[in-house]
Amino acid sequence: MDRRLADLADRLAAGLMARREFLRKAAVITGGTAAGLGVLNTMAHAQGPKLRVWLFKSYVTAGNDILARQVEDWAKERKVQIEFDWATFGDREQKFVAAIEAGNPPDIAEMNYQGPMRYRPALRDVTTLAKDLAAARGGLLPFAERVVQTGGQYFGIARLVFGGGLHVRKDLIAEKGLKMPKVYDPDVIEVAKKTQDPSKDLWGFGQTLNRSDDGNGFLQNILWDWGGGTWDKEGKPALATSYLKENTAALQFAVDTIQKHKIQPPGVMGWTDVHNNEAFMAGKLVMTNNGASLYYAMGAKKHPLFDKTQVILTPGGPAGSFVASNPYNWGLFKASKYAELTDDLVRWVEDEKHFEEYMKACSGQAGPVYKLRAEHPYWKTDPNFQGMLQNILRGVWIGYPGPSTPAAIEVQAQYILCDMAGRVVTAGLSIDAALKEAHKRVEDIVRIRSRS
Amino acid sequence: MAVPAAHVGTKATVHGSLSVGLRRLLGPDYRMGYLFITPIFCFVLSLVAYPFGYAIYLSMTHKLVGLPPVFVGFENYIRLTWDGFFQRAVVNSFIFTFGSVGFKLVLGVVMALVLTSPIRWRSFWTGVLLIPWVAPTVVSALNFLWIFDGSLGVLNYLLVRVFHVLPQGVGWLSEPGTAMASVIAVNIWRGFPFFGISFLAGMKAIPAELYEAAAVDGASTLQRFRHVTLPGLRTIMIIVVLLSTIWTFNDFQIVYILTKGGPGGTTMVMPVLTYETAFGAQRLGEAIAVALYLLPALAVTIMVLARYMRKGRKR
Repeated sequence: MDRRLADLADRLAAGLMARREFLRKAAVITGGTAAGLGVLNTMAHAQGPKLRVWLFKSYVTAGNDILARQVEDWAKERKVQIEFDWATFGDREQKFVAAIEAGNPPDIAEMNYQGPMRYRPALRDVTTLAKDLAAARGGLLPFAERVVQTGGQYFGIARLVFGGGLHVRKDLIAEKGLKMPKVYDPDVIEVAKKTQDPSKDLWGFGQTLNRSDDGNGFLQNILWDWGGGTWDKEGKPALATSYLKENTAALQFAVDTIQKHKIQPPGVMGWTDVHNNEAFMAGKLVMTNNGASLYYAMGAKKHPLFDKTQVILTPGGPAGSFVASNPYNWGLFKASKYAELTDDLVRWVEDEKHFEEYMKACSGQAGPVYKLRAEHPYWKTDPNFQGMLQNILRGVWIGYPGPSTPAAIEVQAQYILCDMAGRVVTAGLSIDAALKEAHKRVEDIVRIRSRS
Repeated sequence: MAVPAAHVGTKATVHGSLSVGLRRLLGPDYRMGYLFITPIFCFVLSLVAYPFGYAIYLSMTHKLVGLPPVFVGFENYIRLTWDGFFQRAVVNSFIFTFGSVGFKLVLGVVMALVLTSPIRWRSFWTGVLLIPWVAPTVVSALNFLWIFDGSLGVLNYLLVRVFHVLPQGVGWLSEPGTAMASVIAVNIWRGFPFFGISFLAGMKAIPAELYEAAAVDGASTLQRFRHVTLPGLRTIMIIVVLLSTIWTFNDFQIVYILTKGGPGGTTMVMPVLTYETAFGAQRLGEAIAVALYLLPALAVTIMVLARYMRKGRKR
């Protein structure tokens, strides 16, 4: 059309055509094209509905490929067109915010634990579907139930939780005749000190406290391990009130791993989520907490450290051993015109045969959120999977021991615990002052969130 | 209802005299003028004024994702004023901006002086020095993320293993003293070629006769630089410094990729805080308030800076 209009414009400019004739012919061309596009649009609709599906691109690429193929298989079977989009760790929340605010969310999306609480206004109530799926699979594990359900309504269909644990160089532990650590203090510190060799750039423990999911997870876990936490049982902020004593001890431990015990590598406070993976695979760490993606990456690359690594239960503290289990889930959006189709798609990919295929490709990353899935023989095929599975089964939710709330999710999303530790390590703030500063930020979040 | 004839006559006379007055004031075809500026007026209104006005409105609301905004007046601004994290971000932004711009100014002048001196392969060196400016910021920042890495970075490798300058690697992006210096260094590295190439163009426009006259009067190299080159570059300096101040103040990519504002908020600057508030906290109203908070102050700073530099030119 552009070319034909340009020809007309040239002829008009050259005086070969009257202005009136130009307008008439241009109108015919434009109108004809618009009509043609209308016909094409009708034909496209005649081919069936088109679903916008957002999947999460995890580091376990084999799993990503299988899930995408399963969705395509479903679409072929149901004669539905699929428009895929992928979200990553770095852009997932940004995409959701932009799409929801623009009033143009996908029909269905794979979300992390933050989704059901944060995007609830845009999500469809999927209680019936969620209960059906859970009932057929022995029920949801407690942490998953808390994340996808609030006030008896479900705003997400739980899918999986990332397995993980403390990745340990078992060759170095055996070399020194040491046992696997069970608690952070003194086990992890002693093992780290005895196995590390800073002159060779080998460090006992690699755990950032910087603004990252790794830092967030570790800090939240050790607050619980020491008997403290960010929230009390009623869901009130507790960093510098109910649990001040316990939180002080836990934060002191975290800071000491860097400043006093010197078991962490230089630069650890600048790490993001990938740095410990890289450092471990480069042979510079004896121990690091990580999801199963590290184990998967070493296996997929046939890395020499794969056989020398053992994944064990995340160590604990004086009050026990706690791990936040944050399930991934399907979010089905209210704005979708295809509610029945999205329900059907969820049933398809969550079908046990399909999920099994996906789980087996994920090397421990597709952990169970349903009770029956935890009993699958797959989890006994590798000794390292046992550590991952046990970590999941004892997992708690963000907000524990209180409810999972949008405010609790925002504390994680704003990296308030990481900032708290960072203020001590890098700005020289006292433990007490850092806890109080963070507590005030948590209170602000509660106050602001309570208004909506 | 009938209108009295006298009244109609008066109205027509007033309208006629107004039309004559406007024609006399604005020219005979002033109506056509309105017609011509209407498209650009609509364009500016829809693409600049409306979004800006809407942003100001949103900054005065409590707006969460997926929910309608609730008007709260100046509450967001008042809360930010007393928020320690925000205050540190303001201070960090000024340190980052003026630290970077100051160094870029000096390096830019040096670059321009070197490139105007008789050196071999001048065009080649000009091209080489422009690479940091031409390379995408994301790519540069990711490279520096690797260079500064405490365990696997090339900088520590060189300092510890190759040159044995340090006994142990430094956490460039994890220590409070070095984290801000590192992000400033990357910003300088990326931005100084713009200063250099602009000054180079300015230097070439200074008449050679001025240098010859100064040399005849016995001026030394330093005196020629001070009394001929610098005054000749003053206008370009104003523009370049102003532009760079605005760009650096709004620089997001370098800080976000290198530190995300960490550790412990040491490198948290306003654009990163805006982003974190919008997409981390998902409080859109407050995020816009963060972005707009310093707009008046920045505008005043730029005006003062411009006036100061212009004053020097008049003198």
